[in-house]
Amino acid sequence: MKPLVFTLKQEPDQRLDLAPLVPHLLDGQSAKEIAEIELQTTRERATVGDTFKIRPGSAESIRFEGGSTRLDNIGKDMKAGEIVVEGDCGKSFGRSLSGGNLVLTGECGPFAGSAMSGGRLEIAGDAGDFLGAPLEGEMEGMTGGLMIVRGNAGERVGDRLRRGTIVIEGSAGDYPGSRMIAGTLIVLGECGTLPGYLMRRGTIVLANPPELAPTFVDCGLHELAFAKVFSGLLRPESRAAARLLSRPLARFAGDMAALGKGEIFFPA
Amino acid sequence: MGEARINGKPVSLAAAAERAAEILSQARMPVIAGLGTDAAGARASILLAEKLRGAYDHMHSTRIFADLDVMRQAGLMVTTPNEARLRADVFLFIGKDLTKDWPAMMERLSPAKIPPFDLVHEPRKLLWIAPGRGGAKGEGLVETLDSSDLHATLASLRARAAGRAVNCAKGTLRKLDEFAGVLKNARFGVAVWGGDGLDSLSIEMLHGLIRDLNKTTRFSGLPLGAGANASGVVQTSGWMTGFPVRTSFGRGFPEHDTWRFDATRMIESGEADTALWISAYGPEAPPWRKNIPLVALASPQTVFAWEPQVCVEIGCPGIDHDGAEFARETGSIVGSLASHRSQAPSVADVVSQISKHLGETPKC
Repeated sequence: MKPLVFTLKQEPDQRLDLAPLVPHLLDGQSAKEIAEIELQTTRERATVGDTFKIRPGSAESIRFEGGSTRLDNIGKDMKAGEIVVEGDCGKSFGRSLSGGNLVLTGECGPFAGSAMSGGRLEIAGDAGDFLGAPLEGEMEGMTGGLMIVRGNAGERVGDRLRRGTIVIEGSAGDYPGSRMIAGTLIVLGECGTLPGYLMRRGTIVLANPPELAPTFVDCGLHELAFAKVFSGLLRPESRAAARLLSRPLARFAGDMAALGKGEIFFPA
Repeated sequence: MGEARINGKPVSLAAAAERAAEILSQARMPVIAGLGTDAAGARASILLAEKLRGAYDHMHSTRIFADLDVMRQAGLMVTTPNEARLRADVFLFIGKDLTKDWPAMMERLSPAKIPPFDLVHEPRKLLWIAPGRGGAKGEGLVETLDSSDLHATLASLRARAAGRAVNCAKGTLRKLDEFAGVLKNARFGVAVWGGDGLDSLSIEMLHGLIRDLNKTTRFSGLPLGAGANASGVVQTSGWMTGFPVRTSFGRGFPEHDTWRFDATRMIESGEADTALWISAYGPEAPPWRKNIPLVALASPQTVFAWEPQVCVEIGCPGIDHDGAEFARETGSIVGSLASHRSQAPSVADVVSQISKHLGETPKC
């Protein structure tokens, strides 16, 4: 089936809210109807037709050709299907994603995968701060699914992570896995200061750990059967993450300031 | 008499207001920044933002959200300075800028005096984490704990107060246990924090400690907050829109986003193309490094990087004119009479005059 293609005409001069452009909302709409959808966030009107050249196709598979850091909420509330963005995007990429496959070839702004609960989200470039994190006033971050960042990520990735897996193949900024409730965060590159700050439960695996907070205590060296099983599951998505998990790992438990049932692993 | 200028040339206030309205109404996305003003000024500014379909932000938003993000994502337990002075048998001060932030703090809390409402009449126990130089001087016997990293220190203290293991040197551990013992034995303790040294993560950690302590005793917090009536403006914004600052009327209804509606970010990225800068409490200049059309309602002697298209010198609430603003002393908005009444206009006066030129209905 041919995908529905949106080609960006030019960099928009205001931030646009692309939340309406997801498969379940576009299903059954004609190209003309789609062109009339409003995307503006200021008093200047901006429709899909003003912003993109539309090539009709199946709404099950959407492609954006050309991106901009001003395009927010791409793939918001997506339930199924596929969206591929060839270029960059702005804030809240894949916000509340619950199913389907969402792929970005460029970079994205903060809060990518914020509160996602299922599906697969892949970012080929760098991601901003607060990957998977809750927005203002929310209690939980990501609650399910798989997120892979091939580049680097900003500060506080996996903040309030509740369930699901995040793999960062590049480096992570300061406080990765802050306030984690559960779930798994893997960082293959360098890692910023104080990983797992305020974490209650959950697992962080770091290829290159920084000095840990004093509230993480040494629990010795482990060769865990589960890590090997998990490694096998991750191999198709990230070979490097799979390799890291199959090595003997040192385990530190924490954050002893919070509940203390979380763990940070790194190769011994 | 406050003076008004258009492109640096003195004009009447009416002419300045008309020109300001013209500049703001031509903008694609105007932003009201600074917002250092009393409740009436904030109210007028938020109404203007709605008319213009623009966004508004406060100059101390970083500090505002350090506390507010914890309040709305984890909860905060707070008390007033008066309650603390009358009842607290333990004070836990955190940070080196407390008395700089609030010069009258020691006078208001009188930590060296015996708390009158505490049934056990004993001198208070005073603890200070990261006091810096001079922070803890001359106020009774203060036990201090130096810290190179407040995040790690607060985490270790919370862990020890909960009786869990931490991984640090013996000397530090002894000191932490001593602090934890005093906190746990408090009958009513109060943690006082402020300054730029704490972010939302360390404040959430501190609040976790307060919550843990409340399982066996009473303990509360006293955030000093930020200057330029930050708390008052946040409360005004709250009762007008349901949101704190960093809110936009771009879509015709209020929308809050701490990242998208950060005024400096909006201006430097080119999303906002005109700014209204408001600073009534001191000669603060706009922090952004981009020359965009600017209307400024500022204290006299403000030094701008670029001369504003329109500049009106305004008075200070409580000095040049009466005002209502958040008072740390009581933890609420209180009215104050002008101490040196002058002809300098208030923010509310000038913003209302600008607003009159924009018609009644929001411009779409």
